[in-house]
Amino acid sequence: MAPRTQRRSVALRTISTPLILAALLVAFALVAWASGSRPFNQTVIDIFLQVIFVVGLYVFVGNSGVISFGHIAFACLGGYVAAWTTIKPMMKGISMPGLPDWLMQLEIPFWAAALAGGAFAAFWALVFGAVLMRLSGIAASIATFAMLAMVNSIYSNWESVTAATSSVVGIPILRVLWPYLVAAILAVFAAWAYSISRHGLALRAARDEPTAAAASGIDIPRARLIAFVISGAIMGAGGALYAHSIGLVTPDTYYLGLTFTTLSMLVVGGMSSLSGAVLGVLILSSLIQALRWLEAGIDIGTTTFALPGGVQEIALGVVMIAILMFRPAGIMGNKELTWPTGRGNDKPGEPGETN
Amino acid sequence: MSLLSLSNLTIRYGRLTAVRNVAFTLAEGEILFITGPNGAGKSSLLRAIAGVTPPAGGRIDFADHDITGRAPEDIARLGVSMVPEGREVFGSLTIEENLTVGTGMHAGEHGWRGRAADALEEIYATFPILKERRHTQAGLLSGGQQQMLVIGRALMTNPRLIAIDEPSLGLAPNITDQVYERLIALRAHRKLTLLIVEQSSTRAMMVGGRMILMRGGEVLLDGDARAMGQSEAMQAAYFGYGDH
Repeated sequence: MAPRTQRRSVALRTISTPLILAALLVAFALVAWASGSRPFNQTVIDIFLQVIFVVGLYVFVGNSGVISFGHIAFACLGGYVAAWTTIKPMMKGISMPGLPDWLMQLEIPFWAAALAGGAFAAFWALVFGAVLMRLSGIAASIATFAMLAMVNSIYSNWESVTAATSSVVGIPILRVLWPYLVAAILAVFAAWAYSISRHGLALRAARDEPTAAAASGIDIPRARLIAFVISGAIMGAGGALYAHSIGLVTPDTYYLGLTFTTLSMLVVGGMSSLSGAVLGVLILSSLIQALRWLEAGIDIGTTTFALPGGVQEIALGVVMIAILMFRPAGIMGNKELTWPTGRGNDKPGEPGETN
Repeated sequence: MSLLSLSNLTIRYGRLTAVRNVAFTLAEGEILFITGPNGAGKSSLLRAIAGVTPPAGGRIDFADHDITGRAPEDIARLGVSMVPEGREVFGSLTIEENLTVGTGMHAGEHGWRGRAADALEEIYATFPILKERRHTQAGLLSGGQQQMLVIGRALMTNPRLIAIDEPSLGLAPNITDQVYERLIALRAHRKLTLLIVEQSSTRAMMVGGRMILMRGGEVLLDGDARAMGQSEAMQAAYFGYGDH
């Protein structure tokens, strides 16, 4: 078999996964569009942003097996790039007087801000990653958390360029659905392409058996760094789009709250599966939304039924505990959604041999 | 000319010395068994050669390069392939992914994709079962199939030396026979140098070749496996009753 065709056959064999996931996202967008409800539209925008964040997180966490508490820092970097590059120069002069002149005058469209946010975050991922990727296991996780705290404290205190803890307002708000849909689908395809590339393959091998991977010639810190930079870029672009969805940024928008929601969605969906990352978001977000509606109350005839406030958090907690009790590796485990092939070549090993 | 040469090699884990002043050379195309009881330091020796455990002292040369303390991926690039103990397959990857993962280290070299594809076809020809189940997750394979997979994976990078740690561990005897049959055939066909660690010396005596007997981190005997099997020194090394 020629090598090119071999590469292509891997792509063909696995492309059903991103296609199915993209179809799911399109279905959500269609439902929001058909409903015509503005709050629901905003909810679906939030879901797409979460998909971008969780998929970005998956690129590193899922393939390397190293849990990162720090990825939201990249979203923060991206979010502030959007603030620096899209707010009207006059407003920037008031809230962030310390920006350099060229940046002060710059006013670019949202998609360019998303790209710039991704590039800026990728650059810092490369800088941080060059140091952090030498660590493994819990030490690496703690160090990524320190990185999050560091970025947060810089952005909370560098008043002249980030307006410190006060909100930076005036980012053009984008209320249409499709840019977020396109970005989420792009993130899914990027994650898929990385994961089947030889770098993704090397990193997944290192996750399974680090010793054997090193003996197979895999430079583990380098393989991790590549994933870290790609996931940083996705998070940065997502952070910029997030800023455009709410029209403002504060350092705490991108801190512990978002860190733990995105991580729990990834864990519930299945840490080492791209389908798990997307499904984790779709399932948990739908559940949160349904509970919100129930708390707000449903009118049936003349009576309104409403759950007491706070049920949302409790029910969410219970569902997550239940999922992790019965499926400790998450909803998808390490499986991906695929077309049924019916070839049946995934049987377990033949019995009769001593193992 | 010697392909691999060890001199005064010492390996320590904290205060425990696992290997003490071991020295030997291995010629290209040779087959060498390293045998000895539990805790003799056989696996440590192998891990030091592959660069996984850096030695505390001494020197390792491979193909005219000093590889002492080099990173495992650098040593692998020079042509040493290690098959670690316990058949460490990449469980969540498919068979084909397991096999191709190591070829990435030659990426960018002229014609590497072509060589990788040729190597893959050759391994599929040697182990047809792997081709049959190429898209199966490696974690689902039986023990014998996993052993064939890790040997196949080690061959993918066209190494000059393959170092295998206990290929018979946990396998039924007839499956071990099959594994060895393929190894010997491969060696003849590819002019491979083989370094095999086994706890029991019976396999070495069956296959023939050179054998080094280790005990307590030191080399006790070094010679022809079949000749050594007859000697009393051999019994003494294993059971420690040589004086009777």
